[in-house]
Amino acid sequence: MKFIVSSSALLKQLQQISGVINSNTVLPILEDFLFEVETNKLSVVATDLETVMRVQIEIEAKESGKVCIPAKILIDSLKNIADQPLTFNIDKNFAVEITSDNGKYKVMGENPDNFPKEPSADDTTSFTLESGQLVTAINKTLFAVSNDDLRPAMTGVYFELDKNYLQFVATDAHRLVRYKLTNVHCPQNDSFIVPRKPLNLLKTALPDNTDEITINYNSNHLFVKHGNTQMSCRLIDARFPDYKVVIPTDNPYKLVVTKSDFQGALRRVSVFSNKSTNQVVLNIHGSELQLAAQDVDFSFEGNERMKCQYDGEDLAIAFNAKFLIEMLNAAESDEVKVELSTPTKAGIIKQTEGEENEELLMLVMPLMLNQ
Amino acid sequence: MQNKPRNILHFDLDTFFVSVERKRNPKLMGKPVIVGGQERGVVASCSYEARAFGVHSAMPIRQAKFLCPQGIYISGDYDAYANESKAVTQVIDTNVPLYEKASIDEFYVDLTGMDKFFGSYKYSKELKQKITRETGLPISLALASNKLLSKVATNEVKPNGQIMIDFGEERNYLAPLKVQKLPGVGGQTQTVLNKLGIYTIRVLADIPEEMLIAKFGKPGASLSRRSKGIDESLIIPYHESKSISTQESFLSDTINTEFMLSQLSNMTERIAFELRRQDKLTGCVSVRLRYADMNSESKQSTIRYTNQDHELIVAVKQLFKKLYSRRQRVGQLAVKFTDLIQGTLQIDLFAHTQEQIKLYQAIDSIKKQFGSTMVLRAKGLRTE
Repeated sequence: MKFIVSSSALLKQLQQISGVINSNTVLPILEDFLFEVETNKLSVVATDLETVMRVQIEIEAKESGKVCIPAKILIDSLKNIADQPLTFNIDKNFAVEITSDNGKYKVMGENPDNFPKEPSADDTTSFTLESGQLVTAINKTLFAVSNDDLRPAMTGVYFELDKNYLQFVATDAHRLVRYKLTNVHCPQNDSFIVPRKPLNLLKTALPDNTDEITINYNSNHLFVKHGNTQMSCRLIDARFPDYKVVIPTDNPYKLVVTKSDFQGALRRVSVFSNKSTNQVVLNIHGSELQLAAQDVDFSFEGNERMKCQYDGEDLAIAFNAKFLIEMLNAAESDEVKVELSTPTKAGIIKQTEGEENEELLMLVMPLMLNQ
Repeated sequence: MQNKPRNILHFDLDTFFVSVERKRNPKLMGKPVIVGGQERGVVASCSYEARAFGVHSAMPIRQAKFLCPQGIYISGDYDAYANESKAVTQVIDTNVPLYEKASIDEFYVDLTGMDKFFGSYKYSKELKQKITRETGLPISLALASNKLLSKVATNEVKPNGQIMIDFGEERNYLAPLKVQKLPGVGGQTQTVLNKLGIYTIRVLADIPEEMLIAKFGKPGASLSRRSKGIDESLIIPYHESKSISTQESFLSDTINTEFMLSQLSNMTERIAFELRRQDKLTGCVSVRLRYADMNSESKQSTIRYTNQDHELIVAVKQLFKKLYSRRQRVGQLAVKFTDLIQGTLQIDLFAHTQEQIKLYQAIDSIKKQFGSTMVLRAKGLRTE
């Protein structure tokens, strides 16, 4: 089998999917790309058994065939080859010979029959949305996903499908983010949990524009298609916690602050907080917000005060500053509104203004202050 | 800084474990006593009488029994040793400005600058007497200009000895000693040195540094420096390891699992309150139980940082169930929280309810006012 491909085009496509490959894999063949050649068309597949990504590239080829090529050595070599057509020659024993203007490189491929099969897209339901919308949704939710393997349901983003909206929810039990798109219409009410890794890959592989992408899903897998790139992944088989009941609906106190000022103050003060809890106490009275952090072990202390608009009773409430900073990052308006009630109940952060078709709600649980 | 002579004092408790055992049982005085694990264990500490038979620490117990069959073998009570060590630490803590606890029975003290007021050596000797008077444990000391030298010298003057090495005399003091007396020269290094015909530190110190580096690689450089009595390592101040614990000994040994679980619940609740009162969270729980034959076993597990009774009790009970495998009577239970951090509980969206939070606040306010045993889970009140 023989084909000719542009070195830079190949590298660009391979880099899109190489993130799937883990550095320490159980099966050696998972360190390989699967190359499938048909007339003038090449598909490359990478998998870690959970997530599969596939790209297609235009090439020059007369015959069809398959081979597995070790991913790392291929990418390392392509990175150092100037843009030019490369000729790939594969013999019966899956030895791969690459010919460039500069010389020849040889690498042993593997039998493509041993490469894991992709999940088949049987019995799927499908809907479409803009690529940029999915990228934004991932960016706004993924940071709140839990790392705790003991609660698998929380290690992914919960997709909630409705005829009138598409909603993304992520939580690690200490904070929760809900991002709703009201201009996406799903064929039926449904829900599933997508693990962190494929979402991270999608975030970088998908363009942040209005290209249309197609999402297919069944009870076990999710399939995403954008142009020549496809991804499929296994869904998390667990029940997402009943998050709706923990979102307070009647937080009476409203605090409005300038996002950048608040974030800056938190960043500075939290330097002096305890490194395990990142505890920062917010003292709100009148139109003044005081931030205080301390680390008793090292005698560190940080205090700041800033202006705010506040409608409510005087309140002292403690939060993990890291959580607040990350949540403020996800908000896009210049000002944010924080809705509070008692020092042991969840605080809610909302944007004061946003895009027309989206709704962002972020919730953070406080640290318990001793009276 | 290197030019300014420092006054570094090294304390080493003589045959520490044996001394503690003798303090508890004076009949052991003057007899060969060996403290160490079980049949397959090694000697942890042995008295000078036992050393006369060729027994030394880290030797397998079996070999020790062969060399010294008439010795008194004790399996050791490490809690008691830790407590005695703490008592010594306390004496040192109240009398010196800066010290390092290098191990359970070794201390370094930085007395630099004390000359002006007291005379460091005189002060050291007085401190030695004070320790022996207050704790009843013999201790040796050496005062020198660095940690290395003071440690070597203490080993030379043991037991119950004291020595001062004047500034500038470091090299002369070390010179006649055998190379293996130098900390860091273990069996292998010693063999290599001896093969090269190097037996005393005097010869070692005369060998050019480059040659030692060629022979031993990087460690050769520090070997060369140490052989000349140069050591600039600093005293690292000692912090009490952070933990909260409690233990309960039973009047008579028990095999009643329900009763033991009840006790554990009670103990956990008590120290969890202590945790909350100190504004701390724990990330590691351990349970230890001592069987009637005085053998102890313990287990620990890492958990999410918490100070909540119900989470800690579950963790403690799980540990106990894993631990209590033999059907044997138990004489003592202990619960310990380590990996403590300063801070208050991060409330969990799904695991903590507002009712629970209010309940804990109410219980804690009662406990603070009327004492920590006023409100307890009924589960923890079961009697034998």
